Formats: sequence, structure tokens, C-alpha cells
Amino acid sequence: MSRYFRELSVGAALLLVLATLAIIAPGFYQPQPLLSLATREAPTLVVACGMALVIICRQIDISVGSQFAVCSVCAGLLAAQNWPTALVAVAAIAIGALLGAINGALVAGMRLPSIVVTLATMVTWREALRWQRQGAFVNLPDRVQWFGLSQSTGQWLLVAVALVVLGTLGLALRGLAAGRFLYAVGSDAEAARLAGIRPRQVTFQSFVALGALTGLAAMMNVAQSPQVDPKSGTGLELKAIAAVVVGGVAISGGRGTLWGVLVGLLLLACVAPALTHLHIEAYWEKAIQGGIILLAVVADGIRSRKGRM
Amino acid sequence: VKKSPRQNLLFRHEFALLVVVAIEWIGFNAATARFGTLDNNFDILRHSVEIGLLALAMTPIILTGGIDLSVGSLLGLCAILFGKLWRDAGLSPAAAGVCTLAIGAAGGGLNAVLITGLRLPPLIVTLGTYSLFRGLAEAITRGADTFTNFPASFLFLGQERWLGCPTQAWIFFPTAAAVWLLVHRTTFGRSFRAIGFSPEGACYAGLPVNRRLLGVYVLAGLVAALAAIIYTARLGQAKADAGTGYELFAITAVVLGGTSIFGGIGSVHGTLLGVAAIAILNNGLVHLRQPREAAGMLTGALLLLALTGSVAPKLWEAWRAHRRSRPPLPVRSP
Repeated sequence: MSRYFRELSVGAALLLVLATLAIIAPGFYQPQPLLSLATREAPTLVVACGMALVIICRQIDISVGSQFAVCSVCAGLLAAQNWPTALVAVAAIAIGALLGAINGALVAGMRLPSIVVTLATMVTWREALRWQRQGAFVNLPDRVQWFGLSQSTGQWLLVAVALVVLGTLGLALRGLAAGRFLYAVGSDAEAARLAGIRPRQVTFQSFVALGALTGLAAMMNVAQSPQVDPKSGTGLELKAIAAVVVGGVAISGGRGTLWGVLVGLLLLACVAPALTHLHIEAYWEKAIQGGIILLAVVADGIRSRKGRM
Repeated sequence: VKKSPRQNLLFRHEFALLVVVAIEWIGFNAATARFGTLDNNFDILRHSVEIGLLALAMTPIILTGGIDLSVGSLLGLCAILFGKLWRDAGLSPAAAGVCTLAIGAAGGGLNAVLITGLRLPPLIVTLGTYSLFRGLAEAITRGADTFTNFPASFLFLGQERWLGCPTQAWIFFPTAAAVWLLVHRTTFGRSFRAIGFSPEGACYAGLPVNRRLLGVYVLAGLVAALAAIIYTARLGQAKADAGTGYELFAITAVVLGGTSIFGGIGSVHGTLLGVAAIAILNNGLVHLRQPREAAGMLTGALLLLALTGSVAPKLWEAWRAHRRSRPPLPVRSP
């Protein structure tokens, strides 16, 4: 019970929100809008899973929004050149992995603090993209949207991909040596090194994994609309970090599960539709999300304080 | 008095930055016609005051090993609350300004209480308030409300000259001098460095670590509010997106100025040179008819370069020490 206290309490909060919605605004529960909501949040879930890997490893990456935009635009341009969709997806993932590797090399290789490195790469990629595109959208050929399937099939496919990523990574974190290495390095890098793990290599790999997952998420986003917005992914880093932190992954590393991340993301994702249905203006969304993040870290702080006493 | 090697190195870093700033200025002056005029240089000064103020407030924070990502959002929140107090509550700009400063200090205080009271990492706390402050600004203005038509006596602060200099410079330079004195000539500044090197060590040495940290974050909130007032006066309007991304420029200026992101080492004059380097680059690129994005991209690249440059000697030393300390190969006895 106490081991999964955080996941369970966030789950309880989510159930409370859903129950409130069921009583006050039953209109929230309609299959089509819910499927659309799930599809919209599917790329965020994939990025949040990657972010959880990096945060468990006691690092952080705030450049994912810019990586997402770069991957989206590159994928769009390649698709417009009539590359087959599968190849475009592979290319998007490869570009994401490359961008993640740059962050990883600077953080693990040069031992720089990840927050400043990714702050710098965030602005560099974003401005480079704006300079290159000047805000122009990329028009996609018809066959890319929903992978050429019907809309509802495409939506189900995207949600399924996100859940498969979540499930695979969740099991890998629990069961594979590589997953346990992340927890070991995040808890105490020096102890991990003495135990025969290479902390810097693990850190580097977690950044590459996050980049690759961001590339996949970008592809999942590209497949949802007939155009690619070069501004896409703005604020994605905050959404992902918020989901991870709310879901009970300790920002000081070494603790947390992907199931918690899923619950955290669902809670945050319900804020915007809940506001609409409760007739509160949507402008409060960002403030409420910030409030939820602060609440989550404060709860962590109070709990760890009690634990120390 | 003989200087220690570290002081020597610091001197070298800031001197090198001064040379870079000078080269930038001379280069842009040679390349474009209007860059070197007095008007344009006052323009650079005018445009760098807000980021300069944020960078000044960020320097003590980074010296203590912390970081504050929320200053840009707090600037936005303070700007629209200033507009709200003036237009909707009917206060005079001076009274509204005083209230805004109090609000800024309260915003910084929120960060400070969470960081010192609950011992949460500054990074995640200020990431949360970064979202919270900007969200509040958007919620209060409903994303669209803009405050304009400020009286000319208030706009004088941001758009006119007083005694030959841009008015806000008369606020900026005394603030810079005060922060310089605080960091370099008082025991407070010394305690910031001690905390940055080792919070536990500082605690065992009898320093009131929590009170000092409380002080630097409240100071940052106060300065962000001051920057918000000057920003509003310069543009003549207050909007919810005021100061978006300013935290990045402030951190870049501080790191470029030679302050270690790990805390403990750094100087205020380095930060001022960092601000100058960024401001001149931005202005010069506009004169070269380059798009604004180029300046943003170069600022990011500059930060990366400064970071790698700052750790390269340490890495090189570590690598050499590692090689030297490698035990000799065991010799098999005959």
C-alpha cells in the first residue's frame, strides 16, 4: 500500500474528477469526444514515458518540445517528397534519437547540468526552425493522414501504439537489467558505478531513448492532421514533466513507475475538458496545471520530511 | 597582494569577455552605418535594461547553486497586475508601482518558502511557478486584454531621456551597483558563495542558509517586478505574454559572464558583460538585416559554447590526472 501510495492517491484524485464530471456534466462521457481526447494525448503519453526514463535517471530534458517540432517538420517534408510513410516514421525516430544524442553527449560526456544544456538546445532548435520555415506550414499528401486508414481506425491505432509503448517500457523498467540500471544511477550514481554500471553511458542512453520516443510522438502527431505546424510542440516539455511529476516519479531520481505517469497524464488531460464542461474559462488551464505540479511536489516534500523524522 | 590562481582565472574570463564585447562592437560598427551612433547605443541600453535586471537578480541565485526559471513569467504577471491596478483599481502609476513591487516580492517569496521550507529542488519549484504565474496572467487577462494609454508622465520612465541618458538607465546602474556591493563587498555575498560550494558546509559553519536563500529568491521576485514596470513603460502596453523567454536570456547572460552553474564561483561585473554581449549581438544583427530568429538561435548556441568552454579546462585536468594516476603495469618477476 505505502509503496504505491502516490500512484493510488493520484488515481483517487482522477476518479474524483471523473465522478464529479459524471454527476455535473454527463455530456463529458460520449465515445467520440473521448476517443478524440485520447488521440490528442497519445503523443504526449509517448513523450512523457521517455521523460520518465530521463527523470528516473536524475536528469531532465526541457528541449523535447523543440525536438518534437523539428521531427514533425522533417517528417512532413519527407512525406511531401513522396517517401513511403513507414520510412518517414523511421526517419523521424532517427532524427529524434540524433537530437537526443546531442543532449546526452553534452550532459553525460561534458558533465554539464541537464537543465541548462536542454534550455540552450530548446531555444537553438526552436529558433533555427523558425528561421528556416518562417512560420510556413508543410502540406501533407492525403495518404499520410491516419496512415491512409479511416479516421476512427487511425485514432484507435494511435492510442494502441501509445499504450504498447507504455506497456513495453513499463515492463522493461521493472524486469530488464537496463531498466534497473536507470533506477540505480538515479538513486546514487557513485554506488551504481561501484556496482559495475557505467552511469554516464546509462544517462546518455536515456537521452537517446527520449529523443527517439519524441520522434515517434512527432510522427503520431503528423498523422493526425493534413498540415504540419512548425510551432507544434510548444509547451510539450511542461506537459510531459507535469505528467511525470504528478504521477509520482521523484524529480531527485531513482523512484517512480510508468503506471503513475499514465494516471498523472490522464488527470492533467481531464483538466481542459472538465473546465469546459464546468463552464470555467479555458484560460485557467495553464494556471491549474502549474498548481497541480506545485501541489504534487509539495506533497512529495511533506512526505519525505515525515519519512526523515 | 598576490592573487590566487582561481582569482587569476576569473580575471582572465571576464577580460576575455570584455575583449569579445569590444570586438563585437567594433565589428558591427565597421559593418553597418548606423550602429555606432549615440542614439543606437542608447537604444541598446534601453532594450537591455529588463533582461539586465533579471540577470542581476539571477546572479546571487546561481551563486548559491540554485536557479529560477519563473522570473520571465513573474515579469508578465507583474506587468498585467500593474496595468490592472492602474486602470481598474484607479491607482496612480506610482502607487500601482509600489503594489507591483510587493506582488513581485510575494511571488519570489512563494518560490523561497517552497524551496527552503520543504527543501524542494529550486528547478522543479520554479518550473511549477513558471507555469502558474504565466497561467494566472493569461487567466486574469483572458488571454486578450491589453493595458495601454498610460499617462505620459509614466511613459517618461521607459521612452524618454533624463539628464541625457535613457531614464531607465538611472534605475539600472544604481541597482547594478547595489547588487555588486551586495555580492562582492558584504558578508551576504560571501555566504552565497559558501552555500553554493557546499550547503552543508555553510550550515556547519553557522551560516543561516535558509534565511540567505529566502533572501535571494525574494530579491529576484522584487527585481522581476521592477523589470515589469520598466518593460510596461518602454512598450507603453502590458500583455499576458510579457517577458516570455526572458529567463533564458538572463541565465545565458549569467553563465556567459563566468558564473559557474554549479554555484560558488562568479561575479556581477561578468554578468553585466554577458548582458552587453547578448544585447550588442541582438542589435547588431538587426542592423545587418538578419531576422530576429537568427539572434535567438545564436544566443542559444552562445550559451552552449560558454558552458562547454567553462568545463573544458576542468575536464582536461581530470583526464590528465586520471592518466597520471594510472598505476604502472605490473612487472612479472623473472
